[in-house]
Amino acid sequence: MLRPRHLALLALLAAPASAAVVDYQLDPIASTVAFETDFGPDLITGTIPLELADLSLDFDNVANCTVEVALDVTGAKASFPFAAQALKGPKVLDAKAHPRMTFASTSVRRAGDAADVTGNLTIRGVTRPVTLKAQLFRPQGSAAGDFSHLTVKLTGRVNRSDFGATGWADMVGDEVRIIITAHIDAKG
Amino acid sequence: MGLRNGPESFGLVSRLFHWLMAILVLSLIALGLRLSSMEPGLSNLWLYGLHKTLGLTALGLVLLRILWHLISPPPGPMATGWERLFIKAWHWTLYALMIATPIAGWAGSSASGIDTLYAETFVVPPLVEADETSEFVWFILHEIFAKTLLGMVIIHMLAALRRGMAGDGTLTRMLRGKA
Ligand code: HEM
Ligand code: HEM
Repeated sequence: MLRPRHLALLALLAAPASAAVVDYQLDPIASTVAFETDFGPDLITGTIPLELADLSLDFDNVANCTVEVALDVTGAKASFPFAAQALKGPKVLDAKAHPRMTFASTSVRRAGDAADVTGNLTIRGVTRPVTLKAQLFRPQGSAAGDFSHLTVKLTGRVNRSDFGATGWADMVGDEVRIIITAHIDAKG
Repeated sequence: MGLRNGPESFGLVSRLFHWLMAILVLSLIALGLRLSSMEPGLSNLWLYGLHKTLGLTALGLVLLRILWHLISPPPGPMATGWERLFIKAWHWTLYALMIATPIAGWAGSSASGIDTLYAETFVVPPLVEADETSEFVWFILHEIFAKTLLGMVIIHMLAALRRGMAGDGTLTRMLRGKA
């Protein structure tokens, strides 16, 4: 697990004095959604731009946290040109018909110093429950209780066939591993 | 020795077309069979590009070759009666397959929804819309055409070599122009 060096991992229960539900907004430019999947003996890697992320974090009660993200499938990039076209084309994500991919949490549970975020993932208009692992980081140098700027890392894996994204199944792996790195700022 | 075909001889242009395309088509079949049997990865992905580029080149060459034969008709097989007609029909079928095979490959590639590139640079316009069923059908046709072409070319080569050994001049005039 690559843990950004300059960030300090936050235990979700390390509540600041002014603990309450805090709403965050996304810094879309600094945030990335990276994915990788097997391609024969190699990997296809790529990114999909984050369009929107609505987070509200409750440092007292993890179960109260909610996460909602939307991705702009039409902006997907991949490690070589054919892969990006294949990815966006009708046989995989079908970006024309389904330009958005969304995730909305339904429950959040603490798991060690991370959290398991279960929610509904919608790809190609097909919704399936998935569980992502969430970790929160605070920029290095920020005060221990300062939660105004945070980095959320969500990791997980999905089988694209569950969503009907079956193109090139003979060449490209079914399991897709996802790493969302979202830089978020407290609202207000 | 002229560039044009004569009533009994193959000119240089026709012979160059024949041998250049013979090498090209045989390489394309070998390369195509390799494509359909290999595990695609980053290291061999370029072979698809090579096959498509050479295949489109073959399509361009066969069209030029037919155009040339309209301008300067080839001598026609050294045979008479039904045998002459049969060999002519065989050659026409080879031409038809040399057109149909790359068109089917091009259509199948278009239907996959990925740009078809010529020489890794120029985007070739799609022949058909992206659609999985049509991709499947075009590639099946591509395979049938290419394998029929292979079978017919093998017989063609054996027949040419047999005539070459018999010394009737058929092979000689495709190599040197005159019998
Ligand atoms: C080593 C392999 C080959 C040999 C020895 C060979 C030999 C010949 C010979 C001797 C002729 C002249 C027939 C005549 O006098 O009318 C001929 C014609 C022809 N060959 Fe081949 N050939 C070979 C490979 C191919 C391949 C791979 C193709 C195409 C896929 C091909 C396509 C043709 C066609 C279309 C003609 C008719 C030309 C015309 O009169 O319009 N040949 N070949
Ligand atoms: C005279 C020209 C061509 C010949 C003789 C030829 C021959 C072949 C052969 C023998 C195969 C293997 C078929 C199989 O076993 O499934 C093949 C596959 C293929 N060809 Fe061609 N080809 C030609 C032109 C083209 C062109 C112009 C394109 C695309 C622009 C193309 C795209 C492909 C592709 C993508 C495959 C792989 C299909 C698969 O994965 O099964 N070919 N070709």
